[in-house]
Parts: sequence; structure tokens; C-alpha cells
Amino acid sequence: MDTMRIQVTRTGGLAGIVRHAELDTVDRTDAPHVHALAREAVAGGLRAPSYGVPDGFHYEITVDGRTVYCADPKLTDPQRELVSLVLREGA
Amino acid sequence: MTAAVPLCAIVPPYVLDRLAEAGHEPAVRSLALDTAHRAARLTAPPPTGGHPAPSRVIADDGHSQRLPGRTVRTEGQAPVSDQSVNHAYDGLGATFALYADVYGRRSIDDQGLRLDATVHYGQDYDNAFWNGQRMVFGDGDGQIFGDFTACIDVIGHELTHGVTQFTAGLQYQDQPGALNESVSDVFGSLVKQYALHQDSADADWLIGAGLLAPGVQGVALRSLKAPGTAYDDPQLGKDPQPAHMRDYVNTADDNGGVHINSGIPNHAFYLLATALGGPAWERAGRIWYDALTGRRLPADADFTAFARATVAAAKARYPDQTSVADTVTASWAQVGVSPG
Repeated sequence: MDTMRIQVTRTGGLAGIVRHAELDTVDRTDAPHVHALAREAVAGGLRAPSYGVPDGFHYEITVDGRTVYCADPKLTDPQRELVSLVLREGA
Repeated sequence: MTAAVPLCAIVPPYVLDRLAEAGHEPAVRSLALDTAHRAARLTAPPPTGGHPAPSRVIADDGHSQRLPGRTVRTEGQAPVSDQSVNHAYDGLGATFALYADVYGRRSIDDQGLRLDATVHYGQDYDNAFWNGQRMVFGDGDGQIFGDFTACIDVIGHELTHGVTQFTAGLQYQDQPGALNESVSDVFGSLVKQYALHQDSADADWLIGAGLLAPGVQGVALRSLKAPGTAYDDPQLGKDPQPAHMRDYVNTADDNGGVHINSGIPNHAFYLLATALGGPAWERAGRIWYDALTGRRLPADADFTAFARATVAAAKARYPDQTSVADTVTASWAQVGVSPG
């Protein structure tokens, strides 16, 4: 299985503070799971930023150069799991 | 989408128009409903009777990120053991009280809307928001943010997004978006000042004081008194808010920097409130409230249009005290906005 490079940028939120993290799946034992999540997250994403709700987080997800957008509270389960994983464990 | 109503509540009409033009079926239905709702609000007689009382329902998401969660406390019930629930309940009550006591407003929609909130949203979730229908609070991650129910100004901020949604409907983008944010900060701070019976000179003018976790270098998320000074931390960076138009930040992020450029109208309000003196919710707050709810402000109002609305509101509300409107003009001028 190839590796994947996943980047997440989170903007907005009550605090308006930007967070960015990226994660490479090389050497990850859960790589197949993360790859599946990333594929589903991208499939469920929008090609342009969406409005969301006031103070809601906006996410930009880039997987191997392809970027999609999503916004709270309307994330799909794979998007929610992926952004949470990348922001928690990414660099 | 289970029904058209949630979309109607969240999405502004101009977006619905665009979606409806593109043939998006739920948007077409929402737009029809939305138009009907707006018309009904304009024609409905105000409810009569005694002093308005809130109707609150607090739910617990149980960290699942699936709204609305399980109901854990309703209006009139005694406090529960979970302090997040009680803080949310109290904050909703304090916000309701400011709007009802001072401005005669019956809840968020002025029609007695039930106040719904969900606590413990998600895992370590670093945010609170108004989803068009309810307040949603995360617990914070404990590293940067603590529990978002802890600050009544944050609760007032979020519910004011609801008030704006039902009144001026300021678009959440660029200058109208920054005004939308600023109005939430202004009334969020007033909720706290009113609850604490503070004069404008005694208030902290902070949004989110006590929300930052121990060890984070900062006092709050934003300061209306001194925009740009709320935090300066290795993890968070520095508070990016300007206090003057010359430092306006042009950015595509954050809907055009709505949480950044709100510093400019925030500071104008602070300058007005402290120049007028006394409780900020009285004259300064009344003028801002009149401008927001006067039905003359367009949804795409920029800072200048809003400044003009506040000057007009001051003249209408205080016709025998021209110095009040002059002070409004002077406060805007100090942040680089000329009402003209």
C-alpha cells in the first residue's frame, strides 16, 4: 500500500484561531484504515468552502494534493474522524 | 436533510436564492418557508402579557457529536451535579435577562423562542457555536481551552448570533461578517456587565476571560478595550485584532477575517460606552440594539453603513441630546470609520 500525505487546516471557530497539521501515513500500522478514511472524507467533501454556521469551524482537507472543504456541524463521520486524527497526531 | 426547516434556519437567504436558482430542491422549499416566516414575523402582533420568562432546555451530547443529545435540565428544574449543564442554564438565563429587561425583547426571535443548548459536544472540542437553532458547547481540550460553558459572555455572544439571524441578518462574510461577530461580542460583554451590575468603567471588556487553559499566555480571546492584546502565546500566536481601519486585515480565511476585523467596531462601541459613562447597556447598548433591530440595516452592511445606522439610532432615541449622536460619530472616527 502506498503512503498518503494528509493535510488539515481548521479556520473560524469562536476564537478565530487557525490550526494546521499534516500527517504522512508511512510507518503507520493503521495506514489502511487512515487511507480509507481519507478517501471517504474527500469523497464527501465540497470543492469550494461552504458557509457553515456562525463561529463554526471550517476545514480544508488535502489528500495527496487534492483539496476539499467541509464545515461544522455538517461533517460526515469519516471527515470528523480524519480531521480529529490529523489535528491530534499530525505535525 | 430531514426537513427544509434546518436549512432555512442556518443558511442566509442570499445563499438560498443562489441554491434555489441552481434548482436545489430543499433550498427552494426553505426559501418559500423562510419568506413566509419573515412575513409572519413582520405582521404578527407582539405577544402581550407580563414580563417575559425564559424557557430553557439543556441537553448532554455525551461526547458523540450528534445533536441534540439527551435532555438533562429543563426550565425551573433544580441544578444538577454536572456544572457544565448549570453554567449553560445560567448563561442562557443571563442572556435572556439582558434582552428582556433592558431592550424588551422576548427571547432570541422576540417571539418567545425556547432556548436550547447542548453541552459536552464532541471529544475535547475547542469551540462553541450557534447552529441556527441551538447553542452547542464543547468541553475544550484542556491544553488550550477549558469548558466553553464557563463564560457567560461567550454564551451571550453565541445567542446574539441568533438575534442577528432574526433581525439584520448580517451576512457572515467580510465587513458584514465582522459586524455580525462584533455585535455578538458587544452584547456578549453586555450580558456579563449586566449580570455583574458593572459600569462601563469597571468592566473588563473581555470575551472569554477564564476560557484559556492554565499555562496559556493570555487573558481571553478578545478585548474590546484593547483589541490585539488578549493573548500572545507560543501555541496560539498573538491576538490579531486591529482597533483601527488602517490595520484592517484582508484575508480569505475565516470568512474574510470576521473574527479579526470585528476588533474595529468592537473598539468603537467601547469608546462610545466609556465616553457616555454609566452602565454600557443603557445608552450605548440601546443605540447598537436599535441599529441592529431597526429593519433598515441591509444584510450586506459594511462598517460605514452600520456606523450611519448607529448615528441615526442615537438621533431617534435621544432627540433632545444631540451630544449623544455626536459622541457616536466621534467614536467611529477614532477607529477610522466616518459615518459621513
